[in-house]
Amino acid sequence: MTTIIQWCEYLGGVTDTPPRGFPMHITWLLFGFWWTLLTALIAMFCGQSSKFIYIDF
Amino acid sequence: MIFNTFSYFMLFLFPAAVVFRLVPQTWKAWVIITSGAAFYVFFSITAVGGFLGAVCLGLFLWEAVFSRLYHPASRWCWIGVIQALIILVVFKYWNFFCALVVSPDSPWRWTDAFLPLGISFFTFEFIHYAVDRRAGKTEAGTFSEYLAFILFFPTMVAGPIKRFQDFLPTLRSPSTKWAADFERGTTRILCGLVKKFAIADVLTAFTMHLNSTDISAAQRWLLLLWLLAYALQIYLDFSSYSDIAIGSARLFGLSVKENFDWPYLCTNITEFWRHWHISLTKWLTDYIFIPLGGSRVSQPRVYANLLMTMFISGLWHGAGLNFIVWGLWHGSGLVIHRAWSRSHLNPSPSQAKKFASWLLTMTFVCIGWAFFVMDLPTVMLFFRRLFIQ
Repeated sequence: MTTIIQWCEYLGGVTDTPPRGFPMHITWLLFGFWWTLLTALIAMFCGQSSKFIYIDF
Repeated sequence: MIFNTFSYFMLFLFPAAVVFRLVPQTWKAWVIITSGAAFYVFFSITAVGGFLGAVCLGLFLWEAVFSRLYHPASRWCWIGVIQALIILVVFKYWNFFCALVVSPDSPWRWTDAFLPLGISFFTFEFIHYAVDRRAGKTEAGTFSEYLAFILFFPTMVAGPIKRFQDFLPTLRSPSTKWAADFERGTTRILCGLVKKFAIADVLTAFTMHLNSTDISAAQRWLLLLWLLAYALQIYLDFSSYSDIAIGSARLFGLSVKENFDWPYLCTNITEFWRHWHISLTKWLTDYIFIPLGGSRVSQPRVYANLLMTMFISGLWHGAGLNFIVWGLWHGSGLVIHRAWSRSHLNPSPSQAKKFASWLLTMTFVCIGWAFFVMDLPTVMLFFRRLFIQ
């Protein structure tokens, strides 16, 4: 579980230190793919006109 | 709203972050002030409050001027706290209390009431500064530094609730690692947007049914599914907001503390509140729970303090009786957990016990969300349909 959390946090931009076993030699390639995937998901799902729900601010 | 708009990124975040990086240190606070003021006026006019909402920018200017009176042990600090509370009560709770105390049709009602952008959050930062200045826990900073603190737009609307003593060092020496900040900040923002758009918003297909008409007609398993969907949605929705806020701050080279730390993996309710909306929990602990006596008083008083703190937390989350019940529900959970853990301290529980604790905590939290999302008559109908018929 700890390993999964460390990977999620690094891929999510939460932590600066990559988890053990992270392929540092292809970081630029991995993040190029990752950003493309995230951007594609945003483009697919955006425009649902939903406000943030937690609080009325 | 706001963080999921094109205007936020193109008109405010990217230009302000680049200019902030390029100008000399002496101008950095003024970049935050100018962009924060423009942000406030723009989104007040286009999203909430309209022109009158934009005029509320004056509250920030007044607070910044008034804060220059704050000194350790000064009475002006208490006046600052009182005026922040008055602002919050008038805008957010006036109609709620009128309906509660007089009647829903009271002539005292404010018919064109609106909420100034970020009022629930910036008033907490005002109160924090006044109290901490009085206690000598933070230095005053300059006028521009304090104004930059309260007008820093990534955290202005919905937190994380900052502390001046944390913000000042990062403002005075922001990170100069352009590439790393850009890469980490952008990744954080993109992930936040995916959580919001691709998961939280999609879950609306389930959570939109949490109304009396649909609850009356639904089968029991559907009710459970809708509530679980809401539990997931509210976490992803608010944590994605914090992701975007923290990622945005990172683009400036400023660090903002984390607001969520895997709360749904917690195995008791006390731990849950240390991992859910962390900046609010710490604020409530420091400015409500501890001044009430905290945990250094008799046990019955500690329990009363916990209930009172969570009552205020519930009321802060929304001006409605259901929010108060939600707060008291969690307060009761904290009291029960505290009482139970005092007599059942087990430093190394088995995996089965850990799982059972997690399941119990999740069930408790999910039941609580029912009070959060529905008004009291609807939530009563929900539980009747779920457990009885």
